[in-house]
Amino acid sequence: MYIYDAFDHAFARDRVREFSDQVRRRLAGEMTEDQFKPLRLMNGLYLQLHAYMYRIAIPYGLLSSRQIRKLAHIARTYDRGFGHFTTRTNMQFHWIKLADAPKILEELSEVEMHSLQTSGNCIRNTTTDQFAAAAKDECEDPRPWAELIRQWSSNHPEFSFLPRKFKIAITAAKKDRAAIRLHDIGLHLTPEGFDVFVGGGMGRTPALAHRIRTGLSGSELLSYLEACLRVYNRYGRRDNSFKARIKILVAALGPDEYKRQVEEEWATLDKSRIDPPQAEIDRIRSFFPAPDLASRPFDAAAHERAKTADPEFARWVKNNLNPHKNDEYVSVTVSLKPIGKTPGDVSHQQMDLLADMADRFGNGELRVTHEQNIVLPHIAKADLYDLYRELDTVELTTANIGKITDIICCPGLDYCSLANARSIPLAQDISNRFADAAYSDKIGDLSIKMSGCINACGHHHNGNIGILGVDKQGVEFYQILLGGRADENAALGQITGKGLSAEDVPAAIERVVQLYLQLRTDESERFIDTLERVGRPTFAEALHEPA
Amino acid sequence: MKLLTTNRLQDGVTLWWGENGWVEDAALAARLDDAEADDLLAEWKPRETEVVAPYLVPLNDADAPVQREHVREFVRANGPTTGPTTSDIARAHHRVEIFQG
Repeated sequence: MYIYDAFDHAFARDRVREFSDQVRRRLAGEMTEDQFKPLRLMNGLYLQLHAYMYRIAIPYGLLSSRQIRKLAHIARTYDRGFGHFTTRTNMQFHWIKLADAPKILEELSEVEMHSLQTSGNCIRNTTTDQFAAAAKDECEDPRPWAELIRQWSSNHPEFSFLPRKFKIAITAAKKDRAAIRLHDIGLHLTPEGFDVFVGGGMGRTPALAHRIRTGLSGSELLSYLEACLRVYNRYGRRDNSFKARIKILVAALGPDEYKRQVEEEWATLDKSRIDPPQAEIDRIRSFFPAPDLASRPFDAAAHERAKTADPEFARWVKNNLNPHKNDEYVSVTVSLKPIGKTPGDVSHQQMDLLADMADRFGNGELRVTHEQNIVLPHIAKADLYDLYRELDTVELTTANIGKITDIICCPGLDYCSLANARSIPLAQDISNRFADAAYSDKIGDLSIKMSGCINACGHHHNGNIGILGVDKQGVEFYQILLGGRADENAALGQITGKGLSAEDVPAAIERVVQLYLQLRTDESERFIDTLERVGRPTFAEALHEPA
Repeated sequence: MKLLTTNRLQDGVTLWWGENGWVEDAALAARLDDAEADDLLAEWKPRETEVVAPYLVPLNDADAPVQREHVREFVRANGPTTGPTTSDIARAHHRVEIFQG
């Protein structure tokens, strides 16, 4: 992974000093809240319903064991013993004291972490494929490009006050695990170069991004991104925050006209002042060497015996592993969706154990997924049962990846001051309703994604079943969307009818699931396939029929 | 009738105006008539080294926050409604030694 150089360390130290002084002045009454608020937000510190929330940046979801141990320490020392992974692959601590925030930032800097650009109208954390450098279907490791974008976009003077926040995702695999068409800019790296998608997003006006360029050379990536951002920065609406994202501009101009303006702008740029020389690209690549994976002969017979003796392990093997480039290895997804618990939450004990497991079995490396789970990318098949038993000691062996209880869920009105409705308790109810492992496996792949407000932090627009919490005169209701997907065939879910009460939602989802089980051609036809074949109206009818 | 509420500057903790000052327990919040509530709000808004953005919560005839404030203020008053945290669960079910630290 990228290692800070002297410039980075000095930059982080300066920010700690600056933020410490800002907090001191606020506590001393030398600054009003109106003056202080934009400064704390630039450092990822929000004031929410019960306390301050500190959002910590995890660039492209990559964590070392040392870093997750530090997050465990922060959870234990400054919070209530746990943290929450977000759909931007960041970590949120929900019970922070203002006076502790500078010390936390200082502690983060000790492990080359910070909280910059986790808020505000700037370029946020670039996300990528959680199986980068491990997946069989990728053409190259996308993380050096994500790191290049991180360095280019950090404190970029021209793009620190955009019309609205800006999110970039990048994948280099055939299968899109980074939801690139749901981002302001999505980058798909192919052997021919980058395909550039612009104008996607969720929120109040969901949109799928349009491809405006194919085969862009990596050596020109940054100048092209700069042109995309410049056109947006110049013409994006600043008069209405609901219409300020780039998707609105692209829709208003039309993708062809937006592309024309980008190309025109690109032609005017002095690319030599923006694009890095090949030596710099190579330097960044050198921080992401192919993992040093020792040959680990796999005793398939012993593995099968373990699965027979331990059916829960067998389920975990079936549901939580992803193929690796090296056939003696796999990538393991550790579910943070235990049945009936808060999606994405992780205790300090669990974080410490994950660090130990990464050191013992996985090259000291972990990834946070936008689905709010953790990946150990390089695990020898020979170590799987030992790893499983260790994870089981802290309840990290839920075998539900991609299944109906692997629910994406924002913190909602239990914590967030922007939310209109609670989301976690409903996620817990749905999880409990489908707790039966055999039933969940029979249903197969099905994504439920839930947001407590229209800002869509829970990605409800691209869930096979999306749930949006709304407030109707002091009562929480939930609109249900059907048919969304975030993969290479991305689609937006459609609202199916009037909102349901929280009590009615789990049963309504079960009716839809039962209909799917009746209609599917066979077990290989997933929920989304059946829904697309049969059509949304049939399922919407089941959703809203009387219980 | 109204409630006066805010968050404490130092730690963000939710506060309610009680009979004799700020309290953390919403059950001890004073039901204020409108004039008294407005006076208290005007008094506390400038005291920014103590509290952040105090505001009034209108009450209905049943003494509960009205309409859209109802759920939000219930959660602010009672804390998250999400049940035990993962840390609580882990502590209840697993080895003692891994919870030291």
